[in-house]
Amino acid sequence: MKITRPAPRHHPETIIALIDVVFFLLVFFMLIGRMDATAPFDVAPPVAVTGADMPAGGITISVAADGIIALDGETVAPEDIERRVQSLLVAQPDILIRINAHREATLRSILPRIAQFEAMGARDVVLVVTPPGSPQ
Amino acid sequence: MDSDLSLNRRKPTRPLISLVPMIDVMLILLVFFMVTSTYLNLDMIPALAQRDSPAQGTTGEGTAETLLIRIGTDGAPFHQGQAVSHDDLSDLLTRRLSRDPGLQVIVLPTGGVRLQSLVSVMDTVTQAGTVNMRVVRLEASP
Repeated sequence: MKITRPAPRHHPETIIALIDVVFFLLVFFMLIGRMDATAPFDVAPPVAVTGADMPAGGITISVAADGIIALDGETVAPEDIERRVQSLLVAQPDILIRINAHREATLRSILPRIAQFEAMGARDVVLVVTPPGSPQ
Repeated sequence: MDSDLSLNRRKPTRPLISLVPMIDVMLILLVFFMVTSTYLNLDMIPALAQRDSPAQGTTGEGTAETLLIRIGTDGAPFHQGQAVSHDDLSDLLTRRLSRDPGLQVIVLPTGGVRLQSLVSVMDTVTQAGTVNMRVVRLEASP
């Protein structure tokens, strides 16, 4: 008597589970990520305990430690920044202006700009900070 | 002679939509978002007073007291000409705020101060419970 073991049936790998996982990961990264122009130079925001949640939208003005300025990721000459911001404020008076300045930047490269923006009619200017312990 | 001839139409095969290109596209998108994203934990501090909030410097009960804090070029806070530590500043503010909750704190930094020093002082002032804080700067007159 010969007992033959039945040939194992080939189970095709179900690909649906893989698609589900990839799709969930894709949606996750698309939802939690916020597209934002990064500064063309290194900016480490100051550390603050009392910061509030960052609102979305608006424009970002980055200030490097040596005072170089960038508007939405594009380096701008200091004498041009007022004109550029002014034109944006004319189009959108309520636009949010984020000042993303390096923690080593001196105040003489930041405070006069904020005063200028206020004089231009800006209503919403915020200073970007980072909570303690967050990765740089 | 009878012959039984039956013609069977072949079953139409279902068009197979291949999932592989879709998976490829999704995987490429996934890798793109994972590689190009930088995740930063960012908060914000308002740099301008909200115009719809009550005017600073006044309370409903009358004129508030004012406390001036200077920040030297080394980043150390000064009060009445004396350098104070952040702990001492916090104690001072707590004492003053217990007497006058509407105390207005004016921070006057030197132009050469690093931003971190100003933010640290603002942190100390805010954590002490101050609701009226203003940062002022000196401007050279023409």
